[in-house]
Amino acid sequence: MIVAGCDIGSLSAKAVIMEDDTILAHDLMRAGVRPSESASRVMEAVLEKAGMSMEDVVFIVGTGYGKEQIPFANAVESEISCHAKGAYHLMPSARMVVDIGGQDAKATRLDDGGNVARYIYNDKCASGTGRFLEVMAEALEIPLDEMGATGALSTQKLLISNQCVIFAETEVVSLVNEGRETADIVNALHHALARRAASLAKSIEVAREVVMTGGVAKNSGVFNALAKALNVPVLAIDGIDPQIVGALGAALYARERASIPQTGKNREAFHAAGNS
Amino acid sequence: MRPEIREYNYDRLMAGMLNAAAKVPAGTEKETVLTYQYIPNFTGVARSFINAGPAGVYFLELMARYYDNILTAKKKDRMIVGTTFCNTPAILYAMDLVPATFEVLTAIGSLVWKRGMFDYMDYCVEVGMPETSCSAQRGFLGACLGGLCEDIDIFICDTPGVCDTNANAFAFAAEYLDKPFFQLNYPSIIGDDRSQNYHIDDYKELVGFIEYHTGKSLDYDRLGDVLTEIDRQDALTAEMEDMLMMVPTPIPPLFSLMIYAGRFCFSGQPEYTRLLEIMVEDSRKRMAEGIPGLSAGKENLRLLMCYIDHYTVDTNFYSYLETRGIAHTGSILTRNFRKGSPYTEEMPDVSYDIDTSSPEMMLDSIAQLNARMPMVRSIRGPYDQHGMWLDEVLTCARRYRADCIIYNGTPGCRNTWGMVKPFARDLERQGYPVHIMYDDAFDDRVESWDATRERLDEFFAVRRLL
Repeated sequence: MIVAGCDIGSLSAKAVIMEDDTILAHDLMRAGVRPSESASRVMEAVLEKAGMSMEDVVFIVGTGYGKEQIPFANAVESEISCHAKGAYHLMPSARMVVDIGGQDAKATRLDDGGNVARYIYNDKCASGTGRFLEVMAEALEIPLDEMGATGALSTQKLLISNQCVIFAETEVVSLVNEGRETADIVNALHHALARRAASLAKSIEVAREVVMTGGVAKNSGVFNALAKALNVPVLAIDGIDPQIVGALGAALYARERASIPQTGKNREAFHAAGNS
Repeated sequence: MRPEIREYNYDRLMAGMLNAAAKVPAGTEKETVLTYQYIPNFTGVARSFINAGPAGVYFLELMARYYDNILTAKKKDRMIVGTTFCNTPAILYAMDLVPATFEVLTAIGSLVWKRGMFDYMDYCVEVGMPETSCSAQRGFLGACLGGLCEDIDIFICDTPGVCDTNANAFAFAAEYLDKPFFQLNYPSIIGDDRSQNYHIDDYKELVGFIEYHTGKSLDYDRLGDVLTEIDRQDALTAEMEDMLMMVPTPIPPLFSLMIYAGRFCFSGQPEYTRLLEIMVEDSRKRMAEGIPGLSAGKENLRLLMCYIDHYTVDTNFYSYLETRGIAHTGSILTRNFRKGSPYTEEMPDVSYDIDTSSPEMMLDSIAQLNARMPMVRSIRGPYDQHGMWLDEVLTCARRYRADCIIYNGTPGCRNTWGMVKPFARDLERQGYPVHIMYDDAFDDRVESWDATRERLDEFFAVRRLL
């Protein structure tokens, strides 16, 4: 049985196609302004990778902030639930998921069955999110995906505040003007972001087995800083992009729900959007 | 403030709308249609209350009367007192004064206008208040500071140390408008002899302050009448509380708002007694017929608001609960903590009683009652101290058989924000799923109602409550 999960976030669109327990294909791309168009594009891409058409997919679950706009989804699920499900599927020992996405950061505690026991979002501005790193990468004129490696070269410890993206950017500009090394500034940014995420996680009590998901998990600097800030080991997800864990969770929900007779709505909507 | 806003007297705008809305049900169909045309932005909220039956209609009349009292105060040679919902207006009625309770007046504006009280809130910032101060006061206060309301003669609050943003708003208003100002203080514990004595001594100071500024002495016969009326009201409230404990409860979500809004406006006045009588009668009828208070006809979930409700446009929050089949088992504002109430059994020292046998006992009664008003009762000390926030919420959650607990306030609620996360953690440990709302109960600009609703839906879904 072939199912799919589609996660339309604020900055990226992700899709996963599964057959039973196997991930057949996954894809992620920059999200556009319209969630429905992003969903169609990422779905088309992942179908092409899998060598399939929409007719082959039995059930699709949508998630992410744009989930209600996914025209072909048979059902939608909260991204909290999807990240929890995806992480638990990959690492059944996981009891906490820290997901840092484009515009929000979330900490979720799981019970022994993988169900959500508690969760919490960032409660202030975007300072603890992926957008924070994007703004800082632009300010420092370095590619986002090189931040992890750049921060690893740090030799001197600096401190940057984490309550406001704009204020932090001002601090970065000041540090650059003081002639501080870029690596040290980047390292300080990683720790600032990690401290924000850690404070969220701590407010719902940190569990021993922590998994980090979302795009920021690919940044080794933040990943290591989070482990330090939480004072527990953070488990790395092996063999799969941590950014697609939400879409994977959605696909797992799709698998569960596939027993419910589907209406064919997904196919009609997909084709109506001009896709093949 | 926008120039066009400054053209209108806020009190009269509100009074006009509420008067029109209160008259709608008495009219013919044609008159109703025409009246709604005169209150286009108020139609949604008017319908909500009118659809709530006789209690809702009477509530609109009460609110219109509240404004009428403010607008006619000067003509009747009565002083207007700017005060807070944490302070009972009963003493003001006993001393022939007219209360203008800021939070109630802000809530009314937030409920009826699409733009809410934004202009007035922002005006407070324009004249020097911090933008992180509480929207509950800033709404009405903005109109007040802008000279768009009847002149307030005296300010009284009782929130220093309990809600500092609240107390600061009153201090600012008194300074800005150059008016007399009195603050009651509360110890950080409740129920012990020392605190009880402090309540009385401080309250005597308040009475002296009012007597000095009004030139009128406290008439104990009149205070006795007010307390006797409160006694009746407490008995009716107790009956409502009993019915609220039933599963399913015959009490609709909007009644929860009316119970406390009525008390904040007309405690000790026959108008509030009548409102309670109508609500009791209405709820009893439903109880006898086995009909839940929810219009959906089914109670899917029981919710306890551990702080305040959400008051932005069109009673959205209450309608949301109705459509989802969620019973509202009250908030920190709903219960009065009168001695003998089931929820006070586990903490009897937190309750108050009424004794009208002598002037001294009357003064003691109203002082102790005032010390049990929302927030000053259970936010005065550490959240996990005996009789404080955690005790109160856990007791009520158990008694009212709540399935989950939700915190909602404003970003200005710093005294509760400062402890809400460990408080939520402790409630979770007791088995209650807890959701913390990041919106502003009075200001949709902080988080739109649509976003708030989505977060609520997410909480109920993710925690497998609905």
